[in-house]
Amino acid sequence: MQKEKTPVGIITSLALVSFLTLLYTATAWCADARALLKESENRHRTKTQQYAGNLAVVNKEGKVRKKGWKSFRQGYAGDAKTLTRFTDPPEVKGVGFLSISRTPGQNADQWLYLPSMKRERRIATQDRDASFVGTDFNYEDMEEFDHEKHKVALQGEQTVDGQPCYVITAIPLESSGKSVYEKRILYLRKDILYLLREDLYLKENKQPSKIFILSDLQHVDGHWVAKKWEMSDLKKGSKTTVILKEIAFDKPQPAGRFTLQNLNREGGD
Amino acid sequence: MIRRHLQVCLILLLLIYSTQALAETFSGYAEAKGFAYSERSNSRDPWVLGWGTLFNKWEQKLGETQLTASLRGEWISSDEQGPLLFDLADRHIRRPPFSVQDLWVRMPLAPDLDLQLGRFQLGWGKTDGYSPADAFLPRDLTDPFSDEKLPLWALRLTGQKSAWRYEAVVCPVTTPWRLPVLGSRNAPFKAEGFPPATAFQEVETSPPDIGFAALRLLYTFGEWDLGVWGRTGVRPAPLLDFRFDRAISGTSGLTIPVDRRYAKEEGVGIELSRIIGAWILRGEIAGLFSRDRDLGDGVIGSLSAEKGFGDGTLLITLAGNTKEPAVDQALLFDRAILPALITAWNRTEEWGEWKLVWTTGLRRGDGLLKGEAGYNITDVWKVTLGVELPYGSTEGPFGALNDARRVHLALRRSW
Repeated sequence: MQKEKTPVGIITSLALVSFLTLLYTATAWCADARALLKESENRHRTKTQQYAGNLAVVNKEGKVRKKGWKSFRQGYAGDAKTLTRFTDPPEVKGVGFLSISRTPGQNADQWLYLPSMKRERRIATQDRDASFVGTDFNYEDMEEFDHEKHKVALQGEQTVDGQPCYVITAIPLESSGKSVYEKRILYLRKDILYLLREDLYLKENKQPSKIFILSDLQHVDGHWVAKKWEMSDLKKGSKTTVILKEIAFDKPQPAGRFTLQNLNREGGD
Repeated sequence: MIRRHLQVCLILLLLIYSTQALAETFSGYAEAKGFAYSERSNSRDPWVLGWGTLFNKWEQKLGETQLTASLRGEWISSDEQGPLLFDLADRHIRRPPFSVQDLWVRMPLAPDLDLQLGRFQLGWGKTDGYSPADAFLPRDLTDPFSDEKLPLWALRLTGQKSAWRYEAVVCPVTTPWRLPVLGSRNAPFKAEGFPPATAFQEVETSPPDIGFAALRLLYTFGEWDLGVWGRTGVRPAPLLDFRFDRAISGTSGLTIPVDRRYAKEEGVGIELSRIIGAWILRGEIAGLFSRDRDLGDGVIGSLSAEKGFGDGTLLITLAGNTKEPAVDQALLFDRAILPALITAWNRTEEWGEWKLVWTTGLRRGDGLLKGEAGYNITDVWKVTLGVELPYGSTEGPFGALNDARRVHLALRRSW
């Protein structure tokens, strides 16, 4: 004999079903965010990348400072090594920056070479929120983003620059080294899973402190690449725009390019 | 002689200019600088001083080989410049109007081994405030507050194997320290027991032909950096020999000839640094051994803490020498300021940059306050205002420079 359900029983059952559905959905979204980021990494991973960047730093009064750098990368995300060398203006020409990712749980090793000192200076982990050579990027921004070092969750969808995007939150894992950011919100273009925007939240900030926008997407050497980057510092009211030129992917890099010896080579790449 | 030197300078200038079209990069600056002083130590010291500089640098890459040449032309309104227009070896006592700052080639002998040959500048010390590893490198004290390193004629091998880096330098010829005019406000040596009008006659003593050899090993592991170095050869800081026996009495007073001699010295050092939180802590210790009775031995140590603040750094350094020198310490130049506490803070701003340096001599309590602010008018034009304020006991190395208190203003155009 089937027992008749009371209204309280029906409400309890509905609540249980709703809770389980919510739990499942949340778990699925979380899994989806990781899967999306993994798929994005798989699609866009390249062995190497190099480009020349023209930078314009505009302060809140509208004063423009122009800079130029050359950048080389080997590896991707968690195994990336990058070398950046300023080419302009004269006051920063030759300044070099080397970042080498370390094993999970440790922050990247970073060094800055100053031609006037003829030697490198190590960047302490907690100095990484400092402005990178007068730009709106900080030293952490100069590292490759590694989703494995973050707890990620899919928040929904939103349109950015006319393109539907997945919105994913990324919160740094305590076990993955220290981050200057408390949270990042990533906007991943749905069709090609390419990052179009990143909202960066400093610790104890409810609003994003900086917004990073990538645009002017083009296909180069079989890979999508944003040829225009804009980093806006909402607190300072300044913005740094980087226009990428001479982009090349998977070009073999000379042995020893990503070493301290090379960083200290005056006049070298 | 002067004509020949002028020809060499002009040829070098023309070479640098004429290769502009072929060069990979061409850079430089023109700077006009003015100093105003609040005191004078004697009637020969000017109240105001003008300093004009034209610097050109040419860099070319031929495959993996790097070629670099630079020439600096200067005009100083005082008598700090000697009679020579050009001093290629940089071995004369006065600063010449033209000088080669770079003339070197660097080529890879293997992917992880480079050979650099020619005239170039070295930077070895990790402690920016005071580093025993850097102290053996020659400096130009014509401007006693500018802390300018002189380039060397040398051969240098640098390499890296995993976390190890190594560097060997052979400098076949001594490039001596360049000192300010003795008796001027920048080097106010007093001749004890002699009349106030006593003057010094600096004798052009030829420095030794041989230089030094040095080896350095660096190892990076995690948050730690370890370095060891050793060197042997001629110490480039001169020992002054006041020849009272050859003093000449004239109508204007007594003139004492001053010779220079150079001691041989061996040195070994260890440097260790570690990142702790937001700070980089460093320690260096060096043992310096000389058979010269005036120079003696030295055990010099330094401790420093460095922290990034925005786009700048704060660096605090404590340095000292545990050995008491045999002669007046002020005559040993690189060791003259020890023990000292040096605090340096610099920062880059949207409008330019500034720096503050406070050096305190712990022996006499004297010190030096330096401040400078540079404003970027455009990306290539910059104006700088600075002040140098030595203070305290005139017995100390900084207090002795009280008459050199000054403000300076500079305008620079870079390219």
